[in-house]
Amino acid sequence: MDRTPLVAMRDISLAFGGVHAVDRVSVDLYPGEVMALVGHNGAGKSTLVKILSGAYRRDSGTIAIRGEEASIANPRDARKYGIETTYQSLALADNVDAAANLFLGRELRTRWGTLDDIAMEAEARKVIGRLNPNFQRFKDPVKALSGGERQSVAIARAILFDARILIMDEPTAALGPQEAAQVGELIRKLKSDGLGIFLISHDIHDVFDLADRICVMKNGRVVGTARVAHVTKDEVLGMIILGKCPTAAAPGLGAVED
Amino acid sequence: MLARFIKSTELDIRLLGMAGALALIWIVFHVLSGGLFLTPRNLWNLSVQSAPVAIMAAGMVFVIVTRNIDLSIGSMLGFIGMIMGTIQTDVLPKVLGFEHPATWALTLAAGLGLGLGLGAFQGFVIAYLGIPSFIVTLGGLLVWRGAAWWVTSGQTVAPLDDTFRLLGGGPEGSIGATWSWVLGFVACATIVVVLAHGRGQRKKFHFPLRPMPAEFVVGGMACAAVLAAVAVVNAYPWPVGIVRRYAEANHIAVPDGGLFIAHGIAIPVLIAIGTGVVMSFLATRTRFGRYAYAIGGNPEAAELAGVDTRWVILKCFMLMGLLAAIAGAVSIARLNAATNSEGTLAELLVIAAAVIGGTSLSGGVGTVAGAMLGAVLMQSLQSGMVLLGVDTPLQNIVVGAVLVAAVGLDTVYRRRSAI
Amino acid sequence: MRKLAAAVLAGAALAASFAMSAEAKDKVIGVSWSNFQEERWKTDEAAMKSAIAAAGDKYISADAQSSAQKQLTDIESLIAQHADVLIVLPQDASAIAPAVQKALDEGIPVIGYDRLIENLNAFYITFDNKEVGRMQARAVFAAKPAGNYVFIKGSSADPNADFLFAGQIEVLKPAIDSGQIKNVGEAYTDGWLPANAQKNMEQILTKTNNKVDAVVASNDGTAGGAIAALLSQGMAGSVPVSGQDGDHAALNRIALGTQTVSVWKDARALGKRAVEIAALLADGKRMSDIPGAVKFSGGPKKIEMNSMFLTPIPITKDNLGVVIDAGWIKKEEVCQGVKPGTVKVCG
Repeated sequence: MDRTPLVAMRDISLAFGGVHAVDRVSVDLYPGEVMALVGHNGAGKSTLVKILSGAYRRDSGTIAIRGEEASIANPRDARKYGIETTYQSLALADNVDAAANLFLGRELRTRWGTLDDIAMEAEARKVIGRLNPNFQRFKDPVKALSGGERQSVAIARAILFDARILIMDEPTAALGPQEAAQVGELIRKLKSDGLGIFLISHDIHDVFDLADRICVMKNGRVVGTARVAHVTKDEVLGMIILGKCPTAAAPGLGAVED
Repeated sequence: MLARFIKSTELDIRLLGMAGALALIWIVFHVLSGGLFLTPRNLWNLSVQSAPVAIMAAGMVFVIVTRNIDLSIGSMLGFIGMIMGTIQTDVLPKVLGFEHPATWALTLAAGLGLGLGLGAFQGFVIAYLGIPSFIVTLGGLLVWRGAAWWVTSGQTVAPLDDTFRLLGGGPEGSIGATWSWVLGFVACATIVVVLAHGRGQRKKFHFPLRPMPAEFVVGGMACAAVLAAVAVVNAYPWPVGIVRRYAEANHIAVPDGGLFIAHGIAIPVLIAIGTGVVMSFLATRTRFGRYAYAIGGNPEAAELAGVDTRWVILKCFMLMGLLAAIAGAVSIARLNAATNSEGTLAELLVIAAAVIGGTSLSGGVGTVAGAMLGAVLMQSLQSGMVLLGVDTPLQNIVVGAVLVAAVGLDTVYRRRSAI
Repeated sequence: MRKLAAAVLAGAALAASFAMSAEAKDKVIGVSWSNFQEERWKTDEAAMKSAIAAAGDKYISADAQSSAQKQLTDIESLIAQHADVLIVLPQDASAIAPAVQKALDEGIPVIGYDRLIENLNAFYITFDNKEVGRMQARAVFAAKPAGNYVFIKGSSADPNADFLFAGQIEVLKPAIDSGQIKNVGEAYTDGWLPANAQKNMEQILTKTNNKVDAVVASNDGTAGGAIAALLSQGMAGSVPVSGQDGDHAALNRIALGTQTVSVWKDARALGKRAVEIAALLADGKRMSDIPGAVKFSGGPKKIEMNSMFLTPIPITKDNLGVVIDAGWIKKEEVCQGVKPGTVKVCG
């Protein structure tokens, strides 16, 4: 493919104290594809995407968005590039309602400068309604909602503002099968809209179901990158656990030498 | 049926409960004191006595909502009070002479500036240097109290400028019957406009509306409460001696039955109400308020959403300092003296008021109206007990017990609603 | 290398201090204060310090900040600093007993300052606080011999508050018994805070519907609060109010006519006298041999104490000159805002 990647991360490194959380990682994301990031706990997947989303600042390496070098120092910068995130912990403020959470940091205001709660609620109803037609409780604090409803709010927030690059960290972790299937449907739809999606997931089946490509990380380094169609689940497990890179995958710095 | 109707008014149940508790306390004291409590005079006094704590409680809500605490406000109040006292009796007279018309304004401006500055300083140390607010404000409690003593080596500064004194209430420090009615009707009209506007907005977006009967009940009750309050303060006349002096000075003949000059709303109460309105507005209608609550609910989420959490927290403490200065001005004006012990233990009363009013110490929850009602409730208990001749140590026991009971009830209520 | 230098310096300092203490002949007078926040103690301290300096002795002190607990540690610390004699203003006269006994056991004489420490071997110097109360009541009674009286008392945690009240009642008892005077309201003032006195006075005025003829307040701070409440009812100036301490604001009020009396205890005299007695005791003089000492057993345990009583002076409109001449307050401060011709001293 000679399209320009949506996101090109090159040689990204970040250390906390003496620990290399992310060590010279390079990964690409193309429009209309789902790239899965997998690996053990502590492999560096969440840290890597937090660098992309502006929550952390990288020590070294470059990030290019649509071919141009990007400077991402905080979450606001990331959003300007169209990068949105749903976090594993959902990052919702429990004591305010769905509309407030959707617009947190980007509130709609009236011409007097006050919060336009009514307009925000209207938008919220539209967006969340598309995702989850059964969602009713717009005025209750988010704390009172079910896991699936909370996830709808988090995802709605991510797609509300014209995201082009979506990072989803364990989106189905706290969901039952039906709700997880709904999220899967949504991901497919967003993919067909041309978004590029980084998907972090523990669930191999979800990964093989939804992702186009897969990148395995171990101890902060990339073990290998491959098209999902070209590898088996066992080979992927081998990459995760042993660091053994199969022939169909492009090896990274973390691949074990044979 | 009634429950459904109450629900349709969309009023906060907890706030209603507090108002109910307040009414109950008032009635009990009225009966026990032989009909003294629910008199215009006592209620007028109560409004003025509650003012300083109510003013500060409005700001404490923001501080507690962001998961912080401010233990220094009593000492700040004392220190700023001493500075304001010294400025108007010592510094300005040297420049402007005694009883200059601008003295009170300059003094107040200096006090407010100092409050903002002290609050900003503490807020900076807490938000940007990351030192826990409990520690910083505990230090502040000691430092500002010592500083208050230092201003005049412990000497009381009295009396204060005559115009400044009006900030403390009293017959001249009240706006009188006419203006009180004017303000009352303006408030009523504003309530109606706000309700109508809200309804209009909802219609625009096709949201579910409050049923018309509920709208009328809410609007009607609010208006009635405002006008009743104005009627009460207008029923409290100036004392005879003061009327006589006023009549002599203004060449008015005093009729046989006596001249009835109503107090009206006291200036410190106006200040408190104004503070409450502004703070409520900040809390519910501005981004600053929204962010404060979000930070209280989930600081990490706010950070990730791009909220400048440190700046928000700094502003909360600045506001708190400003309100301590306002409460300080009211307090020293009322006493007509600045003492270095003014405001001692005020922080505990203010925190108690906020907590009784529904603010949770774990952050994220609380209303300005509730906190101010809490202040009135606590002052009602204390003033009522003095009326009954209950002595200080027992008063403290009762107030402490009520505080724990109120918070206990609130906790149970929250758990039951599974929120 | 650095460690060696430090050791040498430490050794030198140690040697120097030994040398100094071997030569020291000045007495070390230790003072344990209960709380500096109240206006008056700074005056006592200044007087003590100048008397101590004049005699060539050394002054060390500690402030217990209203904590009886802290005062125990304070006294231990003063003993450790080689105090030859202790002057103690107790926060809590009973709680201080063990610390006082400890000092006495070490041969350090103890003087109870202004507040009674009931220990057979301690000295007691004070203004007669009960007499202060009597003077307050007498002055108010002279201004208003009949009617409804209100008592604004001090803090319930301060034993002095009850001494004052006892003195006040003693003077007024015959009139109360005969019905000439009626006690229509009495309240302790938490922390002696003027703002609390104001609130209490407001409630009492409400309760009695302003039918109050006189207020016996126990100090100038609470008097100020009570007068602020009276002012809002237009009653300031027509209702006599008492106080004590000679606060500058109160003396001005007396000139203006809103306060009737402030019982003045020249704290400077008390401080000076206490230091003189301290020096004598430190030199080994016996307590009973102190000139002017009397036996006093009026405390709760009826222990006979060697004591010295200084006489307080009630300051009213007529003798404001006393405080001005004594250098306690300037004439301009007393007479601020006073209409010419109303007060003798102001002209």
